[in-house]
Amino acid sequence: MRKLLTRAIATSAAAMLALGATSCSNEREGEGSGSSAKGFKADSVIGVALPSKTSENWVLAGDLFVNGLKEAGFKPDVQYAGASTTVADQQAQISAMVTKGAKVIVIGATDAAQLSTQVAQAKQSGAIVIAYDRLITNTKDVDYYIAFDNFKVGQLQGQALLDGMKAKKPKGPWTIELFSGSPDDNNSAVFFNGAMDVLKPLIDKGEVKVGSGQADIKQTAVQGWKAEVAQQRMDALLTSTYSSKTVDGVLSPNDTLARAIITSVKGAGKPVPVVTGQDSEVESVKSIMAGQQYSTINKDTRKLVADTVKMVKTLQGGGEPEINDTKSYNNGVKVVPAFLLPPVIVTKANAAQAYANDPKLSPLTK
Amino acid sequence: MLRRSRSGPAWSWRAAKRGAAVVNAVVNKAPTLLEMRSITKTFPGVVALADVNLEVRTGEIHAICGENGAGKSTLMKVLSGVHPHGTYSGDIIYRGQEVRFADIRASERAGIVIIHQELALVPGMSITENVFLGNEPRRRGAIDWRGAQRRVVELMEQVGLKEDPDTLIKDIGVGQQQLVEIAKAFAKDVKLLILDEPTAALNEADSRHLLELLREFKRQGITSIIISHKLNEIEAIADSITILRDGRTIETLDVHADGVNEDRIVRGMVGRELGSRFPDRTPAIGEVFFEVRDWTVRHPISTERLVCKNSSFNVRRGEIVGFAGLMGAGRTELAMSLFGRSYGIWLGGHVYKDGKEIQLKSVADAIGHGLAYVSEDRKAIGLNLLDDIKTSIVAAKLPKITRHGVIDQVKEHRVAEEYRDNLRVKAPTVDEGVTKLSGGNQQKVVLAKWMFTDPDLLILDEPTRGIDVGAKYEIYGIIQRLAEQGKGVIVISSELPELIGLCDRIYTVFEGTITGNVSRRDADPELLMKQMTSTKKMATR
Amino acid sequence: MSRYQDLKKNLFGGTASNARQFGMIFTLVAIILLFQVLTDGLTLTSGNLIAVVSQYSYILILAIGMLMVIVAGHIDLSVGSVAAFTGIVVAKAMQEHDLPWQAAIVLGLLVGAAIGAWQGFWVAYVGVPAFIVTLGGMLLFRGGNQFIGNADTVPVPEGFRTIGAGFLPEVGPNTGYNNLTLLLGLAACTAVVWREWRARQIRQEMGAEPTPVWVSGVRLAVMVGVIVFATLRFAGGRVGTSLPVSGIILAVLVIAYSFYTRNTAGGRHIYAVGGNARAAELSGVKLQRVNFFVMMNMSVLAALAGMIFVARSAASGPQDGLSWELDAIAAVFIGGAAVSGGLGTISGSIVGGLVMALLNNGLQLEGVGSDMVQIIKGLVLLLAAALDVYNNSQGRFSVIGSIMRPFRREEPAPVTAGADSSRETDKASAAG
Repeated sequence: MRKLLTRAIATSAAAMLALGATSCSNEREGEGSGSSAKGFKADSVIGVALPSKTSENWVLAGDLFVNGLKEAGFKPDVQYAGASTTVADQQAQISAMVTKGAKVIVIGATDAAQLSTQVAQAKQSGAIVIAYDRLITNTKDVDYYIAFDNFKVGQLQGQALLDGMKAKKPKGPWTIELFSGSPDDNNSAVFFNGAMDVLKPLIDKGEVKVGSGQADIKQTAVQGWKAEVAQQRMDALLTSTYSSKTVDGVLSPNDTLARAIITSVKGAGKPVPVVTGQDSEVESVKSIMAGQQYSTINKDTRKLVADTVKMVKTLQGGGEPEINDTKSYNNGVKVVPAFLLPPVIVTKANAAQAYANDPKLSPLTK
Repeated sequence: MLRRSRSGPAWSWRAAKRGAAVVNAVVNKAPTLLEMRSITKTFPGVVALADVNLEVRTGEIHAICGENGAGKSTLMKVLSGVHPHGTYSGDIIYRGQEVRFADIRASERAGIVIIHQELALVPGMSITENVFLGNEPRRRGAIDWRGAQRRVVELMEQVGLKEDPDTLIKDIGVGQQQLVEIAKAFAKDVKLLILDEPTAALNEADSRHLLELLREFKRQGITSIIISHKLNEIEAIADSITILRDGRTIETLDVHADGVNEDRIVRGMVGRELGSRFPDRTPAIGEVFFEVRDWTVRHPISTERLVCKNSSFNVRRGEIVGFAGLMGAGRTELAMSLFGRSYGIWLGGHVYKDGKEIQLKSVADAIGHGLAYVSEDRKAIGLNLLDDIKTSIVAAKLPKITRHGVIDQVKEHRVAEEYRDNLRVKAPTVDEGVTKLSGGNQQKVVLAKWMFTDPDLLILDEPTRGIDVGAKYEIYGIIQRLAEQGKGVIVISSELPELIGLCDRIYTVFEGTITGNVSRRDADPELLMKQMTSTKKMATR
Repeated sequence: MSRYQDLKKNLFGGTASNARQFGMIFTLVAIILLFQVLTDGLTLTSGNLIAVVSQYSYILILAIGMLMVIVAGHIDLSVGSVAAFTGIVVAKAMQEHDLPWQAAIVLGLLVGAAIGAWQGFWVAYVGVPAFIVTLGGMLLFRGGNQFIGNADTVPVPEGFRTIGAGFLPEVGPNTGYNNLTLLLGLAACTAVVWREWRARQIRQEMGAEPTPVWVSGVRLAVMVGVIVFATLRFAGGRVGTSLPVSGIILAVLVIAYSFYTRNTAGGRHIYAVGGNARAAELSGVKLQRVNFFVMMNMSVLAALAGMIFVARSAASGPQDGLSWELDAIAAVFIGGAAVSGGLGTISGSIVGGLVMALLNNGLQLEGVGSDMVQIIKGLVLLLAAALDVYNNSQGRFSVIGSIMRPFRREEPAPVTAGADSSRETDKASAAG
């Protein structure tokens, strides 16, 4: 017994050593091979790292990526970050994609500035990095940026807010409140600045008043895009500013927050103001059709994903993907070449037409 | 140890068999309420009760006396179903019929309620809630608080408790808490009330009130069994007394007929031959080297209670000094408060060692001045049960085996081996976990731990509690050897024979006061027991 | 069967609680092998091992402190917030006040020490339960992070990033490996051999029955084998990579704290307090000092972990440290610490942390979503704790015994496999 055991142990120890010495294939091939656009195999792994599943938009995007990439012949690896450990999860996921040898990694960043190490790692392994919807900052290692024109989104939201208020109450001055997105999301400021591009002149003229006076992006930010945070802030505003007044309009950066704001206003027993939104979420489309939320933005996720997949395909073939903006998106280190899609504003008036091609939303508009 | 009631009737009546009650020679005055016949109860390795008989008459106050470990509590646990039927042998006849209680609830349903020394009250609940805890009056499924309120007022009147029924338990004194317990018993429609050391934690006024209450119950026809160490109280209120010793019934006395007094009870309790349970020893006693003067300590929570009242005593080199007293007399409290103020609130007093006053403000101070305290509760506060033998032995004096804070494991091992051999700890290696040792061997490890600190004065609190006879003998030997080395040893024990056999001098303690100082020559159980049970200060002999 | 017992005992040190650790090492190996097969060998590639070490080093650093806190009978829920708070303070100090990064690290440690002193004060000297104090701290320092950072992401300079994302430089001749990592591996091998020799010597001095030579031999072979394997893996990654700097920091801490908890009076006091506070007090242990120390130490390590994460992320963000406390606590419990305190080892916690890390990594490589990963991790934690409870109710060795029983009769090979597994741990702790 003893002999047997000893021998077995000795053998496996020896095997272990052998494994350590020989089978340890050296991975030192030097700098990342084929990082320039020379194309890669058509059945390569394509990594897609998305934020947590807190918005239906991301869930939809994930499904679309899986299907779209599969159809194109790739091996998709689509990952969501955990709900509470987003940044660390995403970092680990990107590393795992690199390990798996992904040729292109599409990243919808949770925190735009905290991925530079992983992006560098991806780059060195020869992968191409595409920032999807949110720009990745402070790194030279991001190759392309694909998104809807978010400044335009902001402008459309600001315009819709004005239009909506004018329709309800033809004469100013109008009292509004401002909300902006999560401060760790690079797009938040872009939306907000776009909207302020429209609103600021009127605020300066006094035709539009910010009731609470909170017009700075730091004051209006909603950490983590969380509905509860927005609702809490709106509750607080209603108590502090609107105990006797009414608010005419609220600039909300997206649908989730818009609904939270409407919930808050209704809870306080106030008339529902004009509230903007974005993302065309099902609940918000219903809300618009019911005359509650005023507008949303249709950024057709299908289109964005389809264009991203198209970009991946071009890269696979060794071609240069289509770019339509080479100067606006400076991530702090370099100007990232971008492909921007135009957004569409949707109100009750044009909903049926805007969602005509959307199998999920179009029934809601009838 | 969970005991669950079996399904089916928890207890059953059976036709009583008339048997001759040999024990009691007293003339019948009232019918017998309870008779326990030939009760024998064994625990692994120990016979706790051997053929015990008890007869209690309706409407009397029946006292049960005996030393610690005589079997009083076990007998009451048998009666109340804590030890259910089947775990003992013998019969219990209650109200003329044989009963077999499966658990406490069964005995309570029969009207037998036991009130333990440690009160079973929830501090954060009100009097009303506590009185009806587990016995809540219900109305359509919900608790009928209005009914409960009404009933609690009656009950409180019955036990003479003058408090708002909504007062929280933690806001009333121990005496009142005791009354709440009794009210709780009454809420269960009690017929036989058993009180285990009811006055141990009470001050004199509360004690007197409680005893008066018992007399009142007697007038109302409620039968009580009282277990108490305070013989003066028993003499004052009991009608009959059953004396237990070493798990056997010694005698039952009729207080009114037999002319019983404290001396008579004491004789029954301790009247046993003291065989040579102790190793031979010729004491070599030196000078007084440790002296305590006017040591006064308050109870940590109850502000008006002093656990040590101006205690003064001394110890000579090579001397074994005993501290005799009943449970709760304040011996442990005295010892622990000396040992770096580990108990209570220190109010005053001085400690002198070798003629110089020393400050013992922390355990580290005490250890530094050569004191060692071996606790009465090995498992709860004496040992870390997760440790092995060697870690336990060196725990109180790590600096002896460390250099620059790093433990010398070779030295640790060697030291531990040495003590294991010297004290004959039965364990294969010193790496053995202490939980695996028997009580006697655990105690040896604790002794080793404190011997390792090189103390000048060892305080041993109940050093042989829960230890079998053989190990006791060995531990006595160790204690004697320590004295021979010129160390002072204080032994706190509730077993008088142990103190008398082991000590050169014995202090008696009663309710926080040192009531006597008896030399080996004069020590006899009756004298000690008398001093342990009365406040009267005896002349030093 | 004493041969087997002998081996088991001698391979892993011998005390009772090590049985559990043995089980965890076995689990770790099983997980590694499982994923090695499932991922077609991706798990044990250089790139992946390097990534795993740098991803989880900060959690493992937290686990070291948490182990001591839990052994002392407390818990610390604030570590994530403390890490985030320190991260933002350090990042801001460097960004806005141009503090050199070396000084910034010192500043971060001081911030950690100050926070630790604050929490330790409440726990040790006021007597507020650590659960409450650190629950308060969790909110307090999370809020502090947002207050100072305005919920912004603040980038940190290149030099600072070394502690989280840095590697050893390439020096010396081109051997096809990272030479410094090779040297470290050599040092580790030497240390292991030296320790084995020392241990034999000590046993001899104690007059204890000497370990059989063959056991020593096997143990050395296994450990050296694991170290050689790990060294070649870490040294053989892409040019410019090596054993990550954060991994080296972790290894140093593991060795230092293992030594402290096992071989010093201070370390032993922590176990004494956790095992039986009253008994420890009556043995002259200064309870307050011990409690203060463990709480303070935890915050210092949390600060370090926070800085490493910030360095790795190249920026301090508002989501740093979220639910780290849970990962650290889980690692400690999986690694065999008792909820009631007094039991547990540093190396056990590291193994526990690695079980979680490799599970996570393997599932990610498999493309399992983070929702499922969380579910699986939750079940693993529960199982580990249930194993502990079951173990205690059955007597210590039974579960491990029952896991092992099937293997004993026919072929002892899996036992060896179990031993091989020390992999990452032993690389770090063997030298201790």
